[in-house]
Amino acid sequence: MRRNARDRLLRALGVHSVSFVISAGLFALPIVYLTLQSFKSYTGFLEDPTGLPTSWTFSNFTSAWTEGNFGTELVNSLIYATIPDAVTLLLGVFLAFPISRGYFKFSNALYAFFVFSGFLPAGLIPLFVEARALHLYNSQLGYLVLTSFAGAGFFFFVGYIKSIPRELDEAAALEGCGYFRFITRIIIPQMRPALAAFAVFGFIASWNNLILPLVMLSSQSLWPVTRGLYGFMSQYSTQWPLIAAGTIIVAIPVLILFVLLQRHLVEGVAGGAVAGTQPVTQTGPSTATYTETPAAGPRVPRRAKEERSHERGQATPDYRNVHQESGAI
Amino acid sequence: MTACPFGTRRTRRWIPWLSISVPTLGWLVFVLYPSAATIYYSLTQYSGVPGAPVNYCGLCNYQQAFTSLSSQTWAALKVTLVYAAGVTVLQIVIGLGLALLLNRRGRLFSLYRALVFMPQIFSVTIVAALFSLILDPVSGPAEKILHGLFGASSAFLGDSSISLPLIILINVWMFSGYTMLIYVAGLRRIPPELYEAASLDGCGWWSRFRRITWPMLAASTTVNVFLTAMGCLGEYALILLLTDGQFGTQTIGMYMFQQAFGQQSQLGYGSMLAMLQFAMTLVIGGVLLFTLRRREVQL
Repeated sequence: MRRNARDRLLRALGVHSVSFVISAGLFALPIVYLTLQSFKSYTGFLEDPTGLPTSWTFSNFTSAWTEGNFGTELVNSLIYATIPDAVTLLLGVFLAFPISRGYFKFSNALYAFFVFSGFLPAGLIPLFVEARALHLYNSQLGYLVLTSFAGAGFFFFVGYIKSIPRELDEAAALEGCGYFRFITRIIIPQMRPALAAFAVFGFIASWNNLILPLVMLSSQSLWPVTRGLYGFMSQYSTQWPLIAAGTIIVAIPVLILFVLLQRHLVEGVAGGAVAGTQPVTQTGPSTATYTETPAAGPRVPRRAKEERSHERGQATPDYRNVHQESGAI
Repeated sequence: MTACPFGTRRTRRWIPWLSISVPTLGWLVFVLYPSAATIYYSLTQYSGVPGAPVNYCGLCNYQQAFTSLSSQTWAALKVTLVYAAGVTVLQIVIGLGLALLLNRRGRLFSLYRALVFMPQIFSVTIVAALFSLILDPVSGPAEKILHGLFGASSAFLGDSSISLPLIILINVWMFSGYTMLIYVAGLRRIPPELYEAASLDGCGWWSRFRRITWPMLAASTTVNVFLTAMGCLGEYALILLLTDGQFGTQTIGMYMFQQAFGQQSQLGYGSMLAMLQFAMTLVIGGVLLFTLRRREVQL
């Protein structure tokens, strides 16, 4: 019996050490290594390019910051990541709602057409020509316009909205609630988990986009950090401590976001992608898998959080209240 | 069609249309039109110089691509296939291995999973800077290790024989966390009773994996193979940053980008390459989906 327990302990230790070596050694160590190099002086790096810094210096960060123009670029990145993200989500809900309810003629055909268009060739070259013709090329506003209509998440929203009972629409309409008020006050709060997941993924995707800024923005003052770091790398090609410092500056905002939202992101990937295996055109399954996945994992803290947000939800117009009112009528 | 209950009798007809108008219009102008126009542009000779005319020339670009003696296009198609196949196979094996190892309860294991997932939240620029330093032929740690252990040296990304495999590995490093998470979600859906029954029957680790885990993960494997392969067939940002398509790493996407937005600025020829990439993605995607779905049913 005791020996059994000792075996189990040893086994657990073994699994832990293998897991630690792989996850930390293979996936985190390169980042740590890069961080260490950023604290070396250039001569210190040349003398010993792999080890720990002998004398730690912050000068790489200050000179990278001033020479790399990262301050402006971080602001640009923030603009390019937040505004199109918000517009895409809002437009996506207004598009998905009438389609998922079938509130207009040919809604199914339009939906099928949207799905089909996802299989068309990438339109980067004509988009470039079009942007130049419409004076959206090399302009901040133009770049925002180009990126705000991607429609990401819209397919998922259609499935999600189907899980919100249709009776709610009729009840609210009977109460005299208008269409736009219904969407902003009832539907959007209901969709909070889905919207949050897509907002985060959309933000990261826009923040990390390199090709579109490379094609659409030629003035350095308009560049986001990804494009800026690329330029910085080619400019200071072998000054590795400086490049390392620039890379860390660019990585830190995403890293902070990751640490804050780590659990959400990690779960969102698993849940969202699995929901994607179901054909979106069907009526039920995408919502079914959505509710199923979080319950599948042992995630007690998250469930507690959901309950809390549910309590908060009671203060705002909630479909349960509307439901009861409609029952009273 | 169901009648929209909102608004007065007059407004409820057009309210849904108003609701979809802005997103649909934006999508038509900035998504559908560019996609469709790629087909037309691929049939033209069109230079990217502002004001240059669009000369319709039929299949001239396609002809040029497949008849010229030193066909870069064939080479690019081959590189793309090797790249996509290499990344997909490695990422499935590594992602599954990581999922089996790290799908355990406890705070530490969720930390390990987060660490494995972390690289893909970084922009390709960050990852490229990181690996350009690690694989730097003069002062990178990879060079020091290689020199210390074997006394050999290598140009790494500048060496045509290993440049593509290295980029494949970097891609796998970046995205295997995603594959792992999809497998983790799949593993959690396997009913534990199956394993209990199997261990009552005296099944070992390997036969449990072969008889239960692998078949039950069929749907996750479909998603992983499909997403990874489709992603790789269109990917070129990492290659652009690491080798700029040199040293035998020019995929079809990279070639397209170079033709259209590089020195030559051949938008027509580039569009033709985009069409080739599209055709390749369509055929491979169709075949993959068909075989993977059928496999799911058989398992």
